[in-house]
Amino acid sequence: MSAVTAPAMDRPPPPPPMTVGTLGWLRQNLFSSWVNSLVTVVLAVVVGWAVIGLISWVIVTADWLVITSRVQLYLVGLYPQVDAWRPQVAVLLISALLGVSWRSWGGTARGFAVGLSAVAVIVGVIPHGLQPLNRILVLAIPVAVGVGYFLAAGFFAGRPRRIVGAAFLAVFVGLLIIRGIEGVPGLEPVNTNDVGGLLLNLLLALFGIAASMPIGIALALGRQSNLPVVKWACVAFIEIIRGVPLITLLFMSRHILPLTFPENIKIDTLYITGITIMLFSSAYMAENVRGGMAAVAPGQTEAARALGLRGWQTTLLITLPQGLRNIIPAIVGQFISLFKDTSLVFIIGMLDLVEMGRVTIQSNLEFVDNGREVYLFIAVVFWIFCFSMSYVSRRIERALGVGKR
Amino acid sequence: MNRLLYVQGVPFWRNVVVLRWAVQIVSAILVIAVIAGFFGNVSREIAARDIPFGYGFLDREAQIPIGESVIGYHPSDSFAYGLLVAALNTVKASVLGVILATLLGILVGVARLSPNWLLNRIALVYIEIFRNIPLLVQLLFWFLIVLSLPTVREGYVVFDAFYLSNSGVNLPWPVPQDGFWPWALATVVGIAVAVVVARRLHWRETESGKPSYPILTGLAIAVGVGVIALLILGPMTIEVPSPEGRFGRLQGGAELSGSFTALLVGLVMYTSSFIAEIVRAGIQSVSKGQTEAARSVGMSGMLTLRHVTFPQSLRVIIPPTISQYLNLTKNSSLAAAIGYPDLVSVASTMTQTAPAISLILVVMLTYLAMSLTYSLIGNLYNRAIRFKGT
Repeated sequence: MSAVTAPAMDRPPPPPPMTVGTLGWLRQNLFSSWVNSLVTVVLAVVVGWAVIGLISWVIVTADWLVITSRVQLYLVGLYPQVDAWRPQVAVLLISALLGVSWRSWGGTARGFAVGLSAVAVIVGVIPHGLQPLNRILVLAIPVAVGVGYFLAAGFFAGRPRRIVGAAFLAVFVGLLIIRGIEGVPGLEPVNTNDVGGLLLNLLLALFGIAASMPIGIALALGRQSNLPVVKWACVAFIEIIRGVPLITLLFMSRHILPLTFPENIKIDTLYITGITIMLFSSAYMAENVRGGMAAVAPGQTEAARALGLRGWQTTLLITLPQGLRNIIPAIVGQFISLFKDTSLVFIIGMLDLVEMGRVTIQSNLEFVDNGREVYLFIAVVFWIFCFSMSYVSRRIERALGVGKR
Repeated sequence: MNRLLYVQGVPFWRNVVVLRWAVQIVSAILVIAVIAGFFGNVSREIAARDIPFGYGFLDREAQIPIGESVIGYHPSDSFAYGLLVAALNTVKASVLGVILATLLGILVGVARLSPNWLLNRIALVYIEIFRNIPLLVQLLFWFLIVLSLPTVREGYVVFDAFYLSNSGVNLPWPVPQDGFWPWALATVVGIAVAVVVARRLHWRETESGKPSYPILTGLAIAVGVGVIALLILGPMTIEVPSPEGRFGRLQGGAELSGSFTALLVGLVMYTSSFIAEIVRAGIQSVSKGQTEAARSVGMSGMLTLRHVTFPQSLRVIIPPTISQYLNLTKNSSLAAAIGYPDLVSVASTMTQTAPAISLILVVMLTYLAMSLTYSLIGNLYNRAIRFKGT
């Protein structure tokens, strides 16, 4: 018993009370000098005032009817009411993929999966004008996450190729369900001009980034080519596209792209927009790929040549794969800015989330004073997507150890 | 080359030189075919569908209103002049935007590194909010806020000189008087002298190692000459806006219209959040060993900052910042959404009476010229710092 308590003399003296614990933290980080203390107090007052003002506006003053009465318009645009279950099925597929990521990756994916499920349960339970079928599909989101989680433990366990395959399949099936299939009852094709709202922003950004990958890689390789014709053609394309605003490209393509097709083919605005965004994005993708390949250590190329690989083999098997690994965070960053840029499609008359909000304010007399509510809502929606993607990107960057190897 | 072409025993289809030329020619034909096919198709369709095209319209009277102008405009002016007015409006918005975004971005970026936890977090929240919301949404929001302000009569007034109302911002502005050109000449001469002196001092400092304060001395000369000439010549008077104009408008001073104010606020907030991140990363990129080494050779904190940390972080900061300037310039085209008469907005109004394709080509070329100017500046800077390193 007496051996347990050491003599008091051998213990280090306790730290001064003002350097540890909450008080110590406050002193070090907020009140280290009189200037700091002054800054802290002034900022605290200003921030407190602003936050209280914002909260009271959101809860008391704001009238959210302009949002709640037309949620569907903001989310899927003029997509037919009876077919609203189709985008929801696509969301279920994504949720299942999230469940797979939760099981096989953990960490961030778990946070997103739990957060999404919680939001789905809250939206599904609170009483408002949701059709029974749509309500069931919202409540099915946590179930889909769970299915994905258990599939990851069995079917997908330790088989990354299967996961990648399933992901591609899910995206493809989701797009097919949203667009519709000719001749299948219940899945009649939807008029492409009716696709709008957040769905349009997401579809355009996803298509833009996916389609720009191959073109961007080709342009980047072409730019490094030692054949002058190929090189300068690629340089000209990349620099012209990067030198003008997207808005002018969209404007141009509205007038020019229909002319490049025969007159009897009426090309939809959605496809015109898609092609333009793809070309726009591929110029930026090319620069990303070039940067990523430049960051591959020169020793890699030398080693490949020493092993007897030819020029194209070195590029395709050594430089390009390592370069692509380097640019994963940059691709996420490009996706974020492309997603934000899809709001520019208003210039050719498409009803994306932002334009839908603007039209709602301007064409409904009862909502003419609710602009702040609408823009705040739109801003929050975009912010959640962009912020969570950039958060994930930073996690990937750390996990890949870019620049560390 | 001839020697290479006829290497003994190598058939020509495996000769590297022949192959390279073959690939070159084939790819050249392909590129030309694609371009020719595209333009041929487009020009044939333009002719077939009676779509107007050409540049004869540039001399015609534009007959469209342009809300504001730096150099004066009347609807009876030509299309070409109207486009110039619009381009200058774009330049005005982007130059002011670049200056303000740089200042705010540096401020926020430095605040992000502050030891004060609260300041640090506020800067973080600022950055994360403004860079993750589409600029278009921000512009529409600020425009809405400006429109919902009270009228000029009931608007906000600071010191009886700065007015904020639903028609924008009015502020005091200098008006040139008789002595303006002599003053401008004196100032330019002062700046030239200052540059020469500063270079000389900088050279002496690097040669002798004695601190000679080239930048401070140069600034003092330039500002001193300018201020003394200002006092002697009295080249301009400050005009303060006063509420004596007709129809409740303000008279005198400079007026920033409502849409311009919204555009400027939106562009500055959006771009400064990116610049702040660049500044923070740039300052953090200078390794700690550099500071420690500087301190161990006896440099003071200020000297370390001036000669070691700051120059090194500038190398990291400036190239991406220039590309942000370019982005800001291109983003100013979103003005079309809030009715500020920039290049895109005016051009799209003109499409009602002039060929759309020709117009938009002019607009794209103008933006391309601005982009190339920025890349030129960036390349010059990159070359300059590369020379210093050797």
